[in-house]
Order: sequence, then structure tokens, then C-alpha cells
Amino acid sequence: MKLYEYQGKELFKKYGIAVPGMGAGPFVVKAQVLSGDRMKAGLVKFAANLEEAEQYKKELGGEGLIEDNIPHVSEHYLSFSYDTSTRGPVVAYSRKGGTGVADAAITPVNILDPHLPFEKDSELSIVAGKLWELFISEYALLAEINPLIETVTGKLIAADAKIIVDDEKTDPGQRRFIDMGGDIAVLASGGGASLLNIDSLISAGGRPANYTEYSGNPPAKVVTELTKRVLSKEGLRGCWVVGGTANFTDIYETLRGFVDGLREVKPKPGYPIVIRRDGPRQKEAVEMLNEVARKENFDIHVFGAETSMAETAKIITKLAYGDSR
Amino acid sequence: MAILVNKDTRVLVQGITGSEGARACREMLSYGTVVLAGVTPGKGGQSVENVPVYNSVREALLKHPTINASLVVVPARFCLSAGVEAISADIALVNILTEHVPTQDSARLLALARAHNVRLVGPSSVGIISPSLGKLGAIGSSTTSKVFTPGPVGIISKSGGMTAELALSLSRAGLGQSTAIGMGGDQIVGMDFADLLKLFAQDKDTKAVVMFGEVGGTYEEQAADLVEAGGFAKPLVALIAGKFTASLPEGAVLGHAGAIVSRGRGSYDSKMMALRKAGVKITSTIEEVPVILGELIK
Repeated sequence: MKLYEYQGKELFKKYGIAVPGMGAGPFVVKAQVLSGDRMKAGLVKFAANLEEAEQYKKELGGEGLIEDNIPHVSEHYLSFSYDTSTRGPVVAYSRKGGTGVADAAITPVNILDPHLPFEKDSELSIVAGKLWELFISEYALLAEINPLIETVTGKLIAADAKIIVDDEKTDPGQRRFIDMGGDIAVLASGGGASLLNIDSLISAGGRPANYTEYSGNPPAKVVTELTKRVLSKEGLRGCWVVGGTANFTDIYETLRGFVDGLREVKPKPGYPIVIRRDGPRQKEAVEMLNEVARKENFDIHVFGAETSMAETAKIITKLAYGDSR
Repeated sequence: MAILVNKDTRVLVQGITGSEGARACREMLSYGTVVLAGVTPGKGGQSVENVPVYNSVREALLKHPTINASLVVVPARFCLSAGVEAISADIALVNILTEHVPTQDSARLLALARAHNVRLVGPSSVGIISPSLGKLGAIGSSTTSKVFTPGPVGIISKSGGMTAELALSLSRAGLGQSTAIGMGGDQIVGMDFADLLKLFAQDKDTKAVVMFGEVGGTYEEQAADLVEAGGFAKPLVALIAGKFTASLPEGAVLGHAGAIVSRGRGSYDSKMMALRKAGVKITSTIEEVPVILGELIK
């Protein structure tokens, strides 16, 4: 989870890292949004006095952070994150702040015996030590100060804060959902297979409406809710339920959950639905789906392991678009 | 002779009294793998499938000194301490199946494993199987014999489901497997593609390897670096997922925790370019894998 700047700065205060206060001005007003490069987007304003600052804050939707615009002699970049080439934490530091991590010197940190590559007892080493403590104690994936400004007196102040906290610590097993802008709803299972299947759908000429994924052995209710969410989108022309051959996932349960969700979608989906799944209780699942299709008038096409996932990408694309593509 | 798991593998299951642990124990035993002991703190003295349960790894090792592999199937919040226990006891191979392990805990486990010269696979691994020789984890389940068959192809996969899909596709084409490994799709994992390719390079029964990778991290790029440097000279086929992520915002996470949308190194294009440059065969569907492999090793 990405924290807002003001939340990050609260953490900085907690760990003893100096942040700008609010004195007599001049001030800087910054919109509290999660997107990068707010300066370029016009979301950072400079004000001579508090009245002007409050006015800018209103213009920025009331969610602005007002703080002292502190005169400084230099800007630095400092961050801790994890790196997949050393497979451990790294510290990134540059004397040229503002530009980001690209120009920074990256040094691995031994997580079991951390030594930071800064001159002992220097101001920088002290700030870095506190940021490391935050990075570890808060289970951050990224703890970044950019810029870290140096005042005339040599004091280092965190003018910005970018903190990403590990979801696995705070909110494990979050369901990932991304709007993809297309018109074929996708309910994919399997972390890896779901990515491969979206690739297959696009390469078959299909336009995915969303990316989402459910793994493990989800209770029917979870699948029901996900189905309702995925099929709530307007303008859908097809639905593709796709996954591999499960070891343990009860396919009947999963697809019963899908049908429960399908029944609740308004208006009733008349578009084609292609289901490709296999595993425990597959036979019962196929019988149930065919019966639901016949009795309740849904356009459901069911496939098992004998038809490849990539093949069913072509089938749903063809059924959804016919020749109109 | 396969890699990591063979007939001499002697297993300890940490978290054996949980439902996942008990299932893994049952499935390994029915596959003929020797499971000597289990550990669940506070449940010492019990047994699961006639396998004795101990309170600690140390105690289990005292009674069963031939244990050489630990399967860790504990809840995520206990994973760090369970893993530290196994690694500190110098068990040669530690395979963590637990999912949702915080990145920091994985980094600590890996650093400790390096210091102890212990082979760590996972977290979020689906297990390891050397068909007909043995397995760690419930991988393959009751359908194990149909999906995984003995033969010359190694499999390394970031995804548990794709490990089985690839094996099934290969087995149907008459291409059995030497060893299939779920390396896990987290940002920080134990053994990565390159580490495992080095082992496959030394294994005379492995004639070729297929790897399943996806966007995020640099493990695919590092595998390409290894191949390019001559560290793995056998035929290698890569199936890489996530081409579509080029249009998504940087930092978005898809499926596995390590599948982080990236620009530059870590992106789909970066992986494709690195692998292609190294001469690795690339495909985008499961079905093409046995076709390409069949030609490479005939």
C-alpha cells in the first residue's frame, strides 16, 4: 500500500526524521495524491503567506499539505527498497535530489548485520539510520526521501515522503482488480495462468474488460461476489471464465459460485459465456452448468482440459464479436 | 538423477498438524517419499499419518538425524521463525510452501540460508517433484502419476498452477520430467531461475529445461545472463506471461506478489530481449512448449 505524503511524514516524525514545519512563510502547498511528479502536474504551489496558501489548498480540492518552503543549499535522494538481483534490501543515495533513483548509487545492505555506506556520525548517516529503522519496523517495500534538503546550517530535512508498506504484512491476500477498458469480462484463476491468459485473449483479438484473479480454493461466495463485480460493467460482449487443471480446488463449488453471481447480474447477461476449467468434481460442474444454461437460458459453453486455455481465448473472441470485429 | 529431490530425500514437515501440512504429508507418503517427522510447537507427541510430531526442529533432528529436507507449511506469521529454525539446524534443503510471507521475512530467510549454505526454495512454492523418485509437498496430488512422468525435461516455474500445466502438456507429448520446481512468484525468493539452471546443468539426466516466468523482478534477466555467460548450455525454452502489462501503470501488482508492472528492467520487453539475445527459445503458449522441446532434444 502506497502512503500519502502526509502519512509518510507522520512516520518520519515518529522515527525522528526532520520534516518541514509551519512557521511564518513562505509556504509550499502540495496536493495529497498518490500519482508521481506532482510538480509537473501543477499540483504543487508556492505561497508567500498563509492566506494565499489556504486559497491554493482550496483550489487543490482541500486535500493540500501546507508547510514551510525551506531555503536550502542542496537536494539529496535517499531510499531503501528491495532488489531482485541481490535479493535483499538496498540503499540508494544521490547528492542530486529531485531526479529520482536513476542517478543514485545503489548499495546492498546485509539485513542480518546492517552497515550503511555513510560516514559515521555524519548528519546523513544519522538520517539514513532512522530511515532504515522505519523501513524495517514498518515492513516497508520502499522508504524514499526525495528531495532530502540540506539547509544553510547543514541540517537535513525530508521535504517529501514516499512510503510503500508491504500488503502481505498489513492486508494479506488482497484481490487484485484492474480495469482494462475492453468488453470481454475475464474471471481467471491462477496467479501465473491469469497473466498468460490475458496475453492469449489479446493475441486472439479479444479486448479484456478487466484483470482479476482468484487462486487457491475459494469459497463459492467469494466467486459469487467477484462474478457480480466483473459482470457489473456496461457494454460487455462476452465473459471468459478460465483456469487450468486444479489439484485441489473444488471446481463444482467454484462454478456454483459463478452461477450464483451470474443470476444476480442485471440486466441478465445474454452474451456468450465460455468456461474452461478442470479438476476435482469437473463432471458434476459441467452437468450443472449445462442444466443452468438450458433451464435459465444462458449462452454457456463449457470446456475441460481437452481444449487448451489459449484455444478457448479464440473461441470466446469469435463468439463475442462474430464477424463484427 | 534429478535435482534437489530423489530417493534419498528424508523429509521433515513443519506445520504437519495443519490441514495443508497433513495433506502434504499424506500425498508424499502415498508417492513413496520418506517422511520421517513433523513439527508443530506444542503438539509434540501426536502423530499424523503415523508420522511422529515434535515440538521443535532440534528435537526432530535428534530422533531422526537423517532428515535432509524440510517442507515448511506453516501460517505466514510463523514462517520466519519456522524457516529460521530449519536453516539454523543446517537442513540441506528447505522448501517453503507458505504464501503471503512479507518480503522482509523472505529477505531474512534467504540471507540466513546463504550464511548456512542451505538451499532455500520458496516461499509460495508449490513444491518440488522428481517424478517416480519423490516429491516435496502435495504437488500433483492424486493425479500425480498422470501429470508428472519421469523423463529428460526440467521445469522451473514462478507459478504453481503453471508447473502442473507444463508437466501435463509435456507428458501428453511423451516428454517426461527430471525435476519440476515451483520457485514461487514472490518478489524475493530463495533459489531463482539461475540457481536452479546451474543445478540442471550438472544433472546428466536433464536434457533440456522449460521455465515459466512473468513480469516483475529480474530473475528472468538473470537467467538470460547466466545462459549468455555459458553457465547453462542445454536447450532452454521460456514461456513468459504479462505482455499486456505494458499498458498498465508502473507499480501495479498482478496475481503473484512479485508480478509488479515495471518499465525498463523487469518489464516484459526487457525479459524477452535478454532471453532472445541469450539464444533462449521463447513461446507464448503452453501448447508450443512440447513442440519446440521435442525438436530441440530429438
